[in-house]
Amino acid sequence: MADTSRVTPLPASVPVLSPVTLLRLVIILTVLAVWEFLSHSGWLYRDVVPSLLAIGRAMFDLLAHGEYYFNLAVTAGEVGAALAIGGSLGLVVGIVLGANRFLSKAFESYLYYLGPTPKIIFFPIMIMWFGVGPGSKIALGTLSCFFPVALSAAAGMRQIDKVLIRVGNSFRASTAQMVFKIYLPAMRHPIINGVRLGLGVALIGTLLAETKLSNKGIGFLIIQAYSIFDMPRMYAMLIVLFVLSIGANSVVGRLGGLDSIKRS
Amino acid sequence: MTSTPHNPANTDILVVDDVVVRFETQEGPVIAVDHVSFGVRQGEFLSVIGPSGCGKSTLFNVIGGLIGHTSGVVSVGGETINSPHQSIGMVFREESTFPWRSVTDNVAFPLELIGMPKAQRIERARHFISLVGLDGFENRYPNELSGGMRQRVSLARTLASEPKILLMDEPFAALDEQTRLLLGDKVLQIQQQLKQTTLLITHNITEAVQMSDRILVMTYRPGKVKRIVDIDLPRPRTSEIVGSEAFGRYVAQIWADLREEASRGMRDEEEHALHHVSTT
Repeated sequence: MADTSRVTPLPASVPVLSPVTLLRLVIILTVLAVWEFLSHSGWLYRDVVPSLLAIGRAMFDLLAHGEYYFNLAVTAGEVGAALAIGGSLGLVVGIVLGANRFLSKAFESYLYYLGPTPKIIFFPIMIMWFGVGPGSKIALGTLSCFFPVALSAAAGMRQIDKVLIRVGNSFRASTAQMVFKIYLPAMRHPIINGVRLGLGVALIGTLLAETKLSNKGIGFLIIQAYSIFDMPRMYAMLIVLFVLSIGANSVVGRLGGLDSIKRS
Repeated sequence: MTSTPHNPANTDILVVDDVVVRFETQEGPVIAVDHVSFGVRQGEFLSVIGPSGCGKSTLFNVIGGLIGHTSGVVSVGGETINSPHQSIGMVFREESTFPWRSVTDNVAFPLELIGMPKAQRIERARHFISLVGLDGFENRYPNELSGGMRQRVSLARTLASEPKILLMDEPFAALDEQTRLLLGDKVLQIQQQLKQTTLLITHNITEAVQMSDRILVMTYRPGKVKRIVDIDLPRPRTSEIVGSEAFGRYVAQIWADLREEASRGMRDEEEHALHHVSTT
């Protein structure tokens, strides 16, 4: 008790806006102001930089019509399918490579070679195999997200505390019990990280494929707006997409965050 | 000092008979365990003590069925052990709780593996949590507990599988001296309450004398049985016994045996290090 009197209390009032938030706001407002100035300056060809009002109107128009949601659902379905297929394949391959030194020596270097290769170069093959519809987009997204998930899972598998495996063995856990009750929970952090990276590249792969050759999906709508030079609509779609991918990433991040708070 | 032969009696629940463990290393074969034989009687507390590098942890893993042995036989209740056996419950030296499981779920782990219904295994887990004195911590996670508490969770987890033999490898090695003594009391109390047959691997003489009915002293590499000492101290025991005269005599006796081995080990390691420095 004697000590507390000598401690000066922290100031009770916290400023409403921290300096960082303030700086961010200033940057955003500056960008918007420059943008608006450019659009009215007449220096650039009409509509290359549409006014904020025009973009806002286009966005309202976009979100008020069912067509956008249909295409959004198509893209979301493609990305979801790609993540499910590529993610589970990556997980299985990663666990096997992480558990088996021989297979890892034989095959893991291929993952490292193919991992950073831009998957879009395989798109023509995917079109031949799966057609111009969602099939080829899912295939490309799957190919994209397989690698980060497989590599993180393999690394995660090797990081598992060896004593936990010995505990499982000493209690005579079956292989399935080892996988589901020890390996997977012990690897949850690297796996969530891998899925996060995988989601990002699956989104990129799918959208890139849609902009190249397709007849539905967000990528298709964007490239369609571009080809008829409807710039406000294109910008509106880019902004919505930007917000959506931030949302998707934070949902996956939250899954990892919740976990680490409770059970680090 | 010569090692006396130890013929396992038929009443022994665990029998280690002429076990040899040889490892192939880059510097040639190393004999970790050299023709070791002993038995553990029903309900007794036996400690295996020896200097670092005497192969006692290897012995722990062999009896637990986690690693194979080169020759000889390990058997429990007449059954030969080549893989982990349900009659043997292991407690490891390292931190071994599952960080993603609550205390209850950690302790219920072995029961979950054998498919015991949830309500029943939680009830059983609660019983063993209470036994190791962790009432009130059932829903905590390991990162919210101290090292000593986590080691008690590991102990409760192993006890929950109701092994015939509790096999522990320096379970208190990572703890401070006071915690170690108090936890030793807890283990003694539980052991006496459950009449749990226990085999403790340790390098701590005080710990060994405090808890054991018999102490097996091992030699430095290759690990052989040097001597088996009967500890004739009254039970029930607590850490208070550490101050008694009889206790001191046992400690001195075992230290005399152990010092010889430990200094041999130290010389060996020094030579080894010297050799490595001169060749590199």
